[in-house]
Amino acid sequence: MSTTQMLKGILDGCLLAIIKSKEVYGYELAQKLEGYGFHSFSEGTIYPLLMRMQKEELVTSTLKKSTAGPRRKYYSLTSKGETELEKFMRNWNHLQNSVNRVLQHESDIKSIKGDGMVE
Amino acid sequence: MNNEVKLSNKGKAFLENLRVYLFSSGRNSDEIEEIVEELEAHLYDAEKNGKPIEKIIGKSPKEYMEMVSNEMAVDYRSWITYVCLIVFGSFSITIFPDLLKGQLSYSVLEIVGHIVICAIFIASVLIGFKYISTSYHSIKKQGLIVIMITILPIALFIGLIFLNEAVVTPAIDFSGTASMIIGIITALVIIGISIWAKTWILIVIIALLTLPEYLLSLTSLTYEIQLILSPWITFAGIAIYLWISYKREKNEAM
Repeated sequence: MSTTQMLKGILDGCLLAIIKSKEVYGYELAQKLEGYGFHSFSEGTIYPLLMRMQKEELVTSTLKKSTAGPRRKYYSLTSKGETELEKFMRNWNHLQNSVNRVLQHESDIKSIKGDGMVE
Repeated sequence: MNNEVKLSNKGKAFLENLRVYLFSSGRNSDEIEEIVEELEAHLYDAEKNGKPIEKIIGKSPKEYMEMVSNEMAVDYRSWITYVCLIVFGSFSITIFPDLLKGQLSYSVLEIVGHIVICAIFIASVLIGFKYISTSYHSIKKQGLIVIMITILPIALFIGLIFLNEAVVTPAIDFSGTASMIIGIITALVIIGISIWAKTWILIVIIALLTLPEYLLSLTSLTYEIQLILSPWITFAGIAIYLWISYKREKNEAM
């Protein structure tokens, strides 16, 4: 599986988390994601996600003038969005723990087997 | 766009193509402006920081446009309006001159053919514009496609005229009252369309196609002279109208 495919659902949750802490506009969101280590994605992919989240009433937006350049669309979280974020955090923790346990356990078995071969 | 934003040509071209793509996919024009404006702001910031457009939209503009389009609902209401505009608008060009000559009478082939040609025209516009907008084509190729889309309905209408003479289909004759009612309905629709689209062009063209012939027939000029004068007045009138609107638009832009 490519990282872009894995990213799809996860990006939604990350966007909600960033928007929750501060009202942000698109470019700022992309910058923050990059700062957290998401390098491989195309920045524009956040807009279709934001459009869907707005249709699902997880976020709202307002247009604000910027000092230079065109107007910016700022996003903020709705209460429905906050519930969604909490759900994402629960799911993510669960998923993360399960994946970690699988990877940890399987690599332990391998190293034991590997040790046995040496002896 | 109210304020001029300095963007690279590649960025500008992408936004323009996105607008055309979403429009020919039947998306709502307000929503289109919203996402285009948002991406314009993003590209503006990205270019200021030296990022290439590929970092924003990925390697394939077409894939990105599809992704955006999938999140937008189809705007059926506007599309029904556009279709009515094209069908009624093109019908009215024949209806008014015919009305001034007397009662309306059309063959089944004429009516069905007209609707079919409108459908072909709409489909060719949608497919053609989508094709132009999704990949980078030379100006020459783009121009050629647009010219083909424009010529296609004209060629089909001329074909229909010949076909109608060669093939006899039942004719539908409208009585004097029915003709008047059709005339009034068409006039109302055209006035409605003109108010809605905020343009005089449809009314001006119909008037220029209809009135010269009719007014000349009231004069004492010989029939031959009338026949020569009438198309000249029509074409000159359309040219003058286009020139005036071009001038006015240029002044507004300044």
